[in-house]
Amino acid sequence: MVAIEVEGLRKTFKKGKVVAVDGVSLTIEKGELFGLLGPNGAGKTTLIKCLSTLLIPDGGRIRIFGHDVLKESLKVRRLIGLVTGGERTLYWKLSVFDNLRYFAALYGLYGRKARRRIEEMIEVMDLVEKRDERVERLSTGMRQKVALARALLHDPELLLLDEPTLGLDPQFSRVIRRFIKEELQKKLKKTILLTTHYMEEADELCDRIGFMSQGKIAACATPEELKEKIPHERLLEIKMAGLPDESLIRNIPGVEDVLMIVDNNRTVLRIQSPDPEGILATVLERLRKECRIIGFGLTTPTLEDVFIFLTGEELR
Amino acid sequence: MIIVYEELRKTVKIWLTYPLVLVFWTIFPIMWVIPFIFQGKAFVGALSSQAFADLTGTGQYIPFVIIGAVVSTYMFSALYGIGNAFREESYWGTLEYLIGSPASKGFILLGKALSEGIFSTFFALSQLLFAIFLFGVKITLTKILPILLIMSFLLLALYGLGIGLAGLTLLIKESRGIIHSLDDILYLFSPIRYPVEVNPITKFVSLFIPLTYALIAIRGILLLNKPFHLLITEMVALLLLDIGFLFFGFYTFNTLERKVRQTGTIGHH
Amino acid sequence: MIRHYLTAINAENIKEWKIEMSYLPDFIRSFIEPIVYVLPFVLYGIALVGGRNSPNLARLVGSGDIITYVVLGYIVMGFLNTACWGMGWSLRKEQWYGTIETIFAAPVPRWVYIAGMATHSTLHQGGMIGIQVIVIHLLFRIFFHTSGILPSLLLIGLMLIALYGMGMMVAALALIFKEGWIVSEILHSIISVVTPIAYPLSVLPVFLREIAKFMPTTYGVLGIRHFLMGERVFFTIPEAVFKLLLFGFVWVGFGITIFLLIDRKVRRDGTLGHY
Repeated sequence: MVAIEVEGLRKTFKKGKVVAVDGVSLTIEKGELFGLLGPNGAGKTTLIKCLSTLLIPDGGRIRIFGHDVLKESLKVRRLIGLVTGGERTLYWKLSVFDNLRYFAALYGLYGRKARRRIEEMIEVMDLVEKRDERVERLSTGMRQKVALARALLHDPELLLLDEPTLGLDPQFSRVIRRFIKEELQKKLKKTILLTTHYMEEADELCDRIGFMSQGKIAACATPEELKEKIPHERLLEIKMAGLPDESLIRNIPGVEDVLMIVDNNRTVLRIQSPDPEGILATVLERLRKECRIIGFGLTTPTLEDVFIFLTGEELR
Repeated sequence: MIIVYEELRKTVKIWLTYPLVLVFWTIFPIMWVIPFIFQGKAFVGALSSQAFADLTGTGQYIPFVIIGAVVSTYMFSALYGIGNAFREESYWGTLEYLIGSPASKGFILLGKALSEGIFSTFFALSQLLFAIFLFGVKITLTKILPILLIMSFLLLALYGLGIGLAGLTLLIKESRGIIHSLDDILYLFSPIRYPVEVNPITKFVSLFIPLTYALIAIRGILLLNKPFHLLITEMVALLLLDIGFLFFGFYTFNTLERKVRQTGTIGHH
Repeated sequence: MIRHYLTAINAENIKEWKIEMSYLPDFIRSFIEPIVYVLPFVLYGIALVGGRNSPNLARLVGSGDIITYVVLGYIVMGFLNTACWGMGWSLRKEQWYGTIETIFAAPVPRWVYIAGMATHSTLHQGGMIGIQVIVIHLLFRIFFHTSGILPSLLLIGLMLIALYGMGMMVAALALIFKEGWIVSEILHSIISVVTPIAYPLSVLPVFLREIAKFMPTTYGVLGIRHFLMGERVFFTIPEAVFKLLLFGFVWVGFGITIFLLIDRKVRRDGTLGHY
């Protein structure tokens, strides 16, 4: 059964000057965990907002479990659990319980049934101790758990998670990721569409990934299939201190593409070549003039390499 | 001097991006007195009231409330302009840079006060024009000079209050509610809209509010044709309140500013 | 379905009370402010006539008790705050909280939120007015015919329909205007000036008198003073009921239209979550 069906979706802002989503077509099956991966501004959030009836598209059609989002928006909203980015999507002055109680009422849950469901969600999300705490006193990660609990209250078929781990510390991100994969997908059999700009997240979680770049879906396949798009099985990776001149490497014969990741004063170069061992000496020689080499070796391509290879854009 | 000028320029520019707000402050303070005028007509049946004259020296309640409205423009400017200024900066996200800059906070406040003064004088004058046009209020030019002097005395005290309030809003992160309550309180305890002498409690409290003396003096000149030298008592009282309010304002501001810097809560909303 | 919507309306109301009470000083102030606000109008009246009885008012409306007259007028006008601020600002507040997208993604029609905020705002305003009446009564004593209370409540109820329509319009406008408070202030000021709050219609200039006849608040204020203190009015009660229903119908229709248009606009422009 098809959960999400998007056909030729187009959404522009500022009287057509800014094209956020440019003719996207997409089909997601029931039970699938689909990831939209792309840098900020690629159009991921706009797409999610169109799916959740918060935005009216300029063109194209969206069906959620066969229901048109524009014509049957109330039905569609009942099927969706939405977690949008940003911390302020809860009432900070209300307790965890009061927040959930309010949203339960909006989703048609009341009385004993609502109470039971809220307590269940509080337990599932490991929030029992924070039940009566005001949201303003919780950490960012805790707030994200409350937001997830809220999205699950009405037991929706489809979850739209917009950057669910944005701004969380690594430990909390892991907890949330595990919950999404193990609990939501495997145990509860939910259909999940999540957006992210962390490639590890997409790689680890998703059955299929759509690369989004400048409003378009550049590629859509399983992580393994995507990685196979890079012609070589091995990449040359070099770690160094300092910032090298990328063009020095690019014009070495045999180098096909270079990915440069800079973090503080550390740089990692990932070089594509049909013969990585063969070019190693030349590369090191050129780099040594500018930087201090920390280490080098051969690795397999990651999704980020594929993304850059396919879109020419970097993820961050 | 440059800081004051730049602050002035910035405030003026920001003001000009909200034309509707400009029009609002020009017209509405005058509109708010209209109910008082009709209320007077209904209750008295004439344009002058003897009971009113017994309290204020003049029975003409219409010019009485109009003068109150025009002068209250300065009250709004002190409360909404200066009192709210830092709240706005914090809303724009620029407060930390302002507080963190090496410029003296006193000069920044002075710049704000100056631009506020200019705008409120513009508002007051246009309201006056409206009043002349709508209600036939008469003003002779020779009276303008002493009135301007009284106004500037009033401004000092009101801006002292505004500065204190600005400090308070740094601490409590909220301003609109407090300002609203404060202007209701000033309406009740100073003779902006009615003669406070009518009730012993309001009369007593009004003695501590600079608006009281300024309004008595201005109405004395405009409505009772009092010569300026007969208003010395009011002027001295106003001057004393100036000193008190300015001292209180700067003291509060400095204390609270230091406090938020210690607790590191400047940028919070 | 109906039960779902009613629960949602009630949840909206309870949520608002809880959030308001979390800002305790503001919450308390909201009950004191109406008293401080109305006092200058009362004291001004006393200063004008030198007591609480105005022969001129008695000649115009049939009763000369200026204190009761003024207080009743301002009590009714308190409900204007419901439209201009309470209800009018509710969605804007959700924008500030950051919650507006989340609540708009829930499966309830927009009118349910509006009904929820109208309920809350009316209850809160009702509480404020109750305290206002008690305090002013203790300070000055208000005299009114108790037999007029029920018909007065009926008129207030009818007047509220039109005010809810206005509230919807303001709520929607506040979503798109950066300086939305201006809309509320202007609406509030204009209606306050042309409604005969503390005076009969007859003292207004002819053109204002004609405009006043199109204000639901005019029929509310005058009708209630008619029931509670015998003010002579220019309309019959069935006429007032008819007019209030008519205004209600027109304003609610207008409010809904504006609301739907703006809702569509923000969903097209993607500015719903912005503030």
